[in-house]
Amino acid sequence: MVDAHPSHEPVAPALVEVSGLSLPAAITHLPRPDPYLNVEDYEPEADAMALNMGPQHPSTHGVLRLKLFLDGEICFKAVPYVGYLHRGVEKLLENRTAIQSVPYVDKNDYVSPLTGELALVMAYEALLDVEPPPRAQVLRTILMELQRIASHHLWLGTFCLDMGGALGGGSSVFLYNFRERELILDLLEALTGQRMHYNALMVGGNRHDVPPGWEEKVLATMDRVEDRLAEYEAMTVDNHIFRSRTVGVGVLDPLLALEAGAGGANLRASGVDHDLRRDAPYAAYGQVDVRIPVETAGDCYARFLVRIAEMREAIRIVRLLVSGIPEGPIGALKPPRHVNAVKLPPGEVYVGIESPRGELGTYLISDGSPIPVRVKIRPPSLHAVSLLPYLCVGATVSDIVVILGSLDPILGEVDR
Amino acid sequence: MMRAWIDTLFAFSTTLRNVGRRRVTEPLPWKRLRAHPERYRAGFALTDDEHGEVACIACKACENVCPSGIIRVEGERRESPVTGKKRAYPVSFVLDMNACIFCELCVQVCPSDAIRMRTAWTIPGTSREDQVLTLERLRANAREGHLSWATPGRLRAMQDPERKNGEGGEP
Ligand code: SF4
Ligand code: SF4
Repeated sequence: MVDAHPSHEPVAPALVEVSGLSLPAAITHLPRPDPYLNVEDYEPEADAMALNMGPQHPSTHGVLRLKLFLDGEICFKAVPYVGYLHRGVEKLLENRTAIQSVPYVDKNDYVSPLTGELALVMAYEALLDVEPPPRAQVLRTILMELQRIASHHLWLGTFCLDMGGALGGGSSVFLYNFRERELILDLLEALTGQRMHYNALMVGGNRHDVPPGWEEKVLATMDRVEDRLAEYEAMTVDNHIFRSRTVGVGVLDPLLALEAGAGGANLRASGVDHDLRRDAPYAAYGQVDVRIPVETAGDCYARFLVRIAEMREAIRIVRLLVSGIPEGPIGALKPPRHVNAVKLPPGEVYVGIESPRGELGTYLISDGSPIPVRVKIRPPSLHAVSLLPYLCVGATVSDIVVILGSLDPILGEVDR
Repeated sequence: MMRAWIDTLFAFSTTLRNVGRRRVTEPLPWKRLRAHPERYRAGFALTDDEHGEVACIACKACENVCPSGIIRVEGERRESPVTGKKRAYPVSFVLDMNACIFCELCVQVCPSDAIRMRTAWTIPGTSREDQVLTLERLRANAREGHLSWATPGRLRAMQDPERKNGEGGEP
């Protein structure tokens, strides 16, 4: 009986203390499969088979190849192969100046390009010791939260698509989510001029100020998005089929999540209360009190609940901030007039921000020349993909599709 | 089992409600439901200055900043037939849209308000050469119009750290 799954009951779950953290006892210290299992040594009960899922498969959310070793329909070993989308972004950034490099990181996490831009731009700002003016900080925060809503919309749509046609017929939820995502892209388009690859930020501030009437449009869109979100919740949260596909599927041990460096909703659904927006505030997050949703069941359903709650929270933050954007300039540095306008001092910095998928970090080393010596991007999706060899074992192929969808990896970011 | 059927029917009720909603997809090419905003970045144009000459002074700032390296400008100094003053003119200006990432950095750095982006796309072509914009094509684009709001000067006025509020922010 899936409905009686104990961990989604509203009672407080039992906790265990592990190295200073209180983790939900029911999913901590779960037995771990061996990801390096020798297939020859395995004794299958039914027919053994190797199945390649991807790279060109719609439910791998990009170009991920999963090699599954199946015992009948149950997977006993899973090997993810990444790199099909490798474009050498880090190397490109090591050959570009601070001004030129911003549009490149847009292409990493193409579902949430603005967070990629912010992570890079903030690394340059930390190196230069520049603080953007308050108006830019608040605008950036609004943009990040709008981007989070758009990103979670795309995730929710594809997640329900992976689940099959039980939810309102065919790809209904998918199309509805794209419809609402378009509304947010319209806002970003009116502000920056592009729908996906914005190049909206620059070192020291933003490139674009808000056009007239933009704030009212944002508020109207937030009303619409919130209204429709309630519809999707009604279709999914209590839906018997949705629950039977997600509850208890792909349970992620919080210790494993921490060891693998997973972040975002994947971590918070396993009972670890960690979010850089609150724990290490950047941009204008210090001015708002960000409420972090945490679930303790660690399964696909918990990750779904966390993301839905995050969307509501993002709507709340946008509403709070958009009505009080402070006056003033949007840049701290003179607008760039040539390619070497930003002079880098020698030094090393690491900056991490909370992207919709977890901690997105940029590590930058400069020797004082106009271009950085080394740029390393820490993509949260790579760490989510690294969980697959553990989560897929013991699941059926149809569950693996759901598990992969619930982790929300973006392969452009994994491969860079 | 009964639960599953009831929930499925309930989910379908949302689908039914959406049948009655206004449609959001554009029935292209017959009809456009929404226009691109003024800041939309699609094609390129090289505008003229107040004397009717090409405003570009072949300074190569855009060539140097372009992250994709797709702009090539060759210039020469000559006397202006209108004002009689000596200045630099582009002899050839090539912008290869095949590899453009529409980042607007060329507009950002232009010192003479010459290069601008357009809200209209170049007509689709049948070969790669059709997407290579030359000086003539870029100037023809400017005469045709559909220019984006952002000029180099407006962008920089908007980003100026000394600006008074509101100044430059309005399209
Ligand atoms: S918009 Fe295109 S042409 Fe202009 S700098 Fe960017 S890549 Fe180069
Ligand atoms: S378009 Fe502008 S930036 Fe490019 S060469 Fe001409 S004047 Fe210089």
